Amino acid sequence: MLRRTTLLFVVLFGLLTIVGGCSGDADEIATVIITATDNGWDSQMLHNEIAKLIVENAYDGYEFEVSTGSSTMNWQAIIAGDVDLDIESWTDNVATYEDDKANGDIVDVGILVPDSAQGLYVPRYVIEGDSQRGIEPFAPDLRTVEDLKKYTDVFPDDEEPERGRVYGSIPGWMADEILYKKYEYYGLDESFNYVRLGSEATLFASLTGAYNLGEPWVGYCYEPTWITGKLDLVRLEDAPYDPDLYMDGKCSFPEQELKIVSSNKFADKAPDLLEFFKNYKTGSQLISQALAHLDDTGATHQETAVWILKENDHLLDEWLPAENAEKMRAYLDSIDNN
Amino acid sequence: MKEYLLNFPDAWQFNIGTAIDDWIKNFSRTHREILGFIKRSVITSIKSINELLSIIPWWLLILIVMLLGWRVSGKKRVGLLYGVMLFFIGSSGLWDHMLETLSIVIASVILSVLLGFPLGILLALNKRADGIVRPILDLMQTMPTFVYLVPAVILFSVGMTPALMATTIYAIVPMIRLTSHGINHVDTEVVEAAIAFGSTTLQSLVKVQIPQALPTIMAGVNQTIMMAMSMVVTCALIGANGLGMEILVATNRTEMGKALMPGICIVFIAIILDRLTQGFVDNKEYNTFFRRRPMR
Repeated sequence: MLRRTTLLFVVLFGLLTIVGGCSGDADEIATVIITATDNGWDSQMLHNEIAKLIVENAYDGYEFEVSTGSSTMNWQAIIAGDVDLDIESWTDNVATYEDDKANGDIVDVGILVPDSAQGLYVPRYVIEGDSQRGIEPFAPDLRTVEDLKKYTDVFPDDEEPERGRVYGSIPGWMADEILYKKYEYYGLDESFNYVRLGSEATLFASLTGAYNLGEPWVGYCYEPTWITGKLDLVRLEDAPYDPDLYMDGKCSFPEQELKIVSSNKFADKAPDLLEFFKNYKTGSQLISQALAHLDDTGATHQETAVWILKENDHLLDEWLPAENAEKMRAYLDSIDNN
Repeated sequence: MKEYLLNFPDAWQFNIGTAIDDWIKNFSRTHREILGFIKRSVITSIKSINELLSIIPWWLLILIVMLLGWRVSGKKRVGLLYGVMLFFIGSSGLWDHMLETLSIVIASVILSVLLGFPLGILLALNKRADGIVRPILDLMQTMPTFVYLVPAVILFSVGMTPALMATTIYAIVPMIRLTSHGINHVDTEVVEAAIAFGSTTLQSLVKVQIPQALPTIMAGVNQTIMMAMSMVVTCALIGANGLGMEILVATNRTEMGKALMPGICIVFIAIILDRLTQGFVDNKEYNTFFRRRPMR
């Protein structure tokens, strides 16, 4: 019995080797593997897929991989040089960014999204109501962060119903520290609890849960992200951005530049890719649109990346040298023919 | 042809993800009252445990733990050591965080014992139930927490309720397993003797099998406490305050030193809870009328 099983395995293994051996053609060009961070949010996955398409198809001899992990761990990996790129880097949320840059551990390559936004958001129906879903406006005069004080009972904390609840940012992000100061500055601490959730997954799950029930919710959110593309949210107004007041939470967040950051080894490792990553630039609106497309059609990130490049042909000329752009076009056309 | 051998055929792949999403969202809309009721009762019970713990002054709690440590181990220096550990937690400024963490741990241990003990007995007595439940227990221990945490957040919003659910799902398993194991491994001769003297199944269970299995069952309680402690950081991910949140904030900022203190506190609490409950098991052995048989 045992012998027969062994024989079966040997035969199977042999068959697989033969079949596998046939498929492996012998063009052995040394490929360089480029690794980028995948910190788990959708817009970054999409940006990575676009970069993968271009790096692997508009250039020769590169392979593109992602390292999946938490943003903090991946940041350490870039400093160590194990990961090459952080595409869509929310550098304002990385406490050590300035120091690491000054030490030469990381290098700014380019600006990917020039116009991101973050702050306190509420679903639109909280202010305007939603006749289709039969939701009356909960807080018709809610405009600014300061107005929240008047609406404590609209956003009750389940665990302490006499106080309100505002959802903070992700613990450890700069945005969270600033938001907490804002919460104190506007006196929200008198009547609201500041609730931190440990991850985006749970923060967005709580927003999705409340939105699904048509219940009020107020908390931190940012753009571009799938959730701002998918749900109708309103950002609460704040005093205009002022670099001196910003760190104390006394004004709105600036339009943050989302950067492409690389390890200090990347420039030597892939000099011809550097030009692409310098020019690689999308925008909040484009990415939110694409994420909504992804959500509506159920396409994968990779399919959405192809869709973006086909719909926005001019991007190839902006990002790539002429000869690589042509190569990329040829590749995109070849996908069509399949 | 070759494609089909090397890669799983595309045509045979299916996707039920969105259907499940819609179902959960719909469920949360249609069962709002009952979900709200569950949420309120969980919050009330955890908050009352926390209030009970907060009533006890810090020095009294340290004294109680020192006394218990001394009684259970029989050594004065062990009691003193536990006192020093608790004092350390207080002097690190983490006393209130510890109480918050403890309330969730205690609530989930109580829930685990209440549900796990009868379930364990059922599994020991009924082979068919055993066959059904055992794979479910495997699922509860290995299913990555986030897979059921996100739906739990959609259903119960964030905070104590999903935290209690996650902790209980993970920590109840040893309670069920060890209860069933303990009862199954009571010496058959003892059970036969009890039956021969005319006891009913229920009498034999309550008066012979459960007392005999008590050391194993208590080991289950001990393991349940330890596993509940290990879920503390996961609970912080869904907004449960306490030591886990301190760790999460610090690690997200790569402040290793700041994360170490609450980490050490969790270890201290775990050690104290472990030794105290284990000591209770050992004392029970001496006090039990029946002599303990080696487990087979």
